[in-house]
Amino acid sequence: MIAKLGRRRVLIAILITGVLWGSGCATLGPVYTKADKIPEDHGLVYIYRPSGFIGGGVAYDVKVGETVVTTLHSGGYYPYFSKPGEVEFWAKTESRSAVTIDVMTGKVYYLKGTVGVGFFVGRPHLTVVPEEVGEKEISDCKLIPESK
Amino acid sequence: MGRKAGKGLCAACLPGVMLLLLINALGCGTTMAITPQVAIRDVKGYQVMGKILYDGNPDHLPRTVANGNPGESVLSFQFSYQCAYGSDNTSQLLPLFNPLSIVGFPIGANTLVVTEKLDVYKEDLLIKSYTATCMMDKTRNLFYEGETYSELRKRGLIAARNNIESQMYEDKDFFANLNAVK
Repeated sequence: MIAKLGRRRVLIAILITGVLWGSGCATLGPVYTKADKIPEDHGLVYIYRPSGFIGGGVAYDVKVGETVVTTLHSGGYYPYFSKPGEVEFWAKTESRSAVTIDVMTGKVYYLKGTVGVGFFVGRPHLTVVPEEVGEKEISDCKLIPESK
Repeated sequence: MGRKAGKGLCAACLPGVMLLLLINALGCGTTMAITPQVAIRDVKGYQVMGKILYDGNPDHLPRTVANGNPGESVLSFQFSYQCAYGSDNTSQLLPLFNPLSIVGFPIGANTLVVTEKLDVYKEDLLIKSYTATCMMDKTRNLFYEGETYSELRKRGLIAARNNIESQMYEDKDFFANLNAVK
C-alpha cells in the first residue's frame, strides 16, 4: 500500500517537473547572426538570455508598454527594432523587472534577461549590458521565433 | 512550572528573532550616494539663458538653464547623461541552498550609476563644466524585490539634475556677470 502511494507520488512529481520544464521549452531558430541593417529612424535592441540551468524551464514575456515583444526562453535572442526615445522594457512573473533604454537612431543595445530565485516561480531580471559583453554572450543564443 | 518554561523559551527565542529581523532589515532597501556633495538649494525662478544643445527628455535637463531668444545670449549648454548598470555576480544557485534565504537574506543586488554633465560655452569657449554622479545599490530578498532599474534610473536622474542645479546656483554671481541670468 505504502509502496503504491510512494510510486504515485513519484509519478506526480515527474509529471509536474515535466510540465514545468516543457512549458519553458521552445523551438528556437538559427544561432545568432548580426542584423544586416537597422531600418531608418530606428535603433536595435538585442534581447537575449544566456542558457543556464537555474530557471531553465521558465520563460517570460518581454513587453514594451502592453505589447509583447518576445517570449524570452533560456538560450534565446530576439532583435527588436525600436523607435528612438526612452523605451521601457519589462517582464513579470511573481515580481516585475523593468529597464529603460534611451534608444538612439542607428545604435545597438544589448538587453540581457536572466531568471533569479523566487518563492514559487523564477523571477525575471532585465539589465542593459555593454556592447562588448552583450556581443560575447549572445553569440551562443538562438533566434526566438516571432510572437504570434 | 509550565508558565516558567514558556517564559524561558520566549527569552531563548528573542535573540533568534532579533537576528532574523536584522537580516531582513539589512537585506532590503536602496542606498544612494551622490557626488559632488552640495547643499540642495531651491532654485525656483533662477535660470540662465542660452542655447540648449540637447534633444532628449526635457525632464532630465537642469531647470536652471533655458532657451533664450536668438541673439539674446552668447551662451550655449551641452547636456548629456549616461547610465551604467552593474552586473549581478550573485550566484543564483547559492540562495537555493542557503537556509537563510527564507528569512530574508539577500539573494541578489542591482547597482546603477547615473552620470550627468552640463558644459557651458561662451561662443566656442568652454567656460564651465558641471558633473554629478549618482550611485545606487539595491539588494533584494525573497520578500522584497524593491525598485526596478527604470525606477532607480528615474530617481538617479532627478538627484543628479538637482545636484547640477545647486552647483549652478552657487555660481550665480559668475553668470550674473555674463548678463545671462533671467
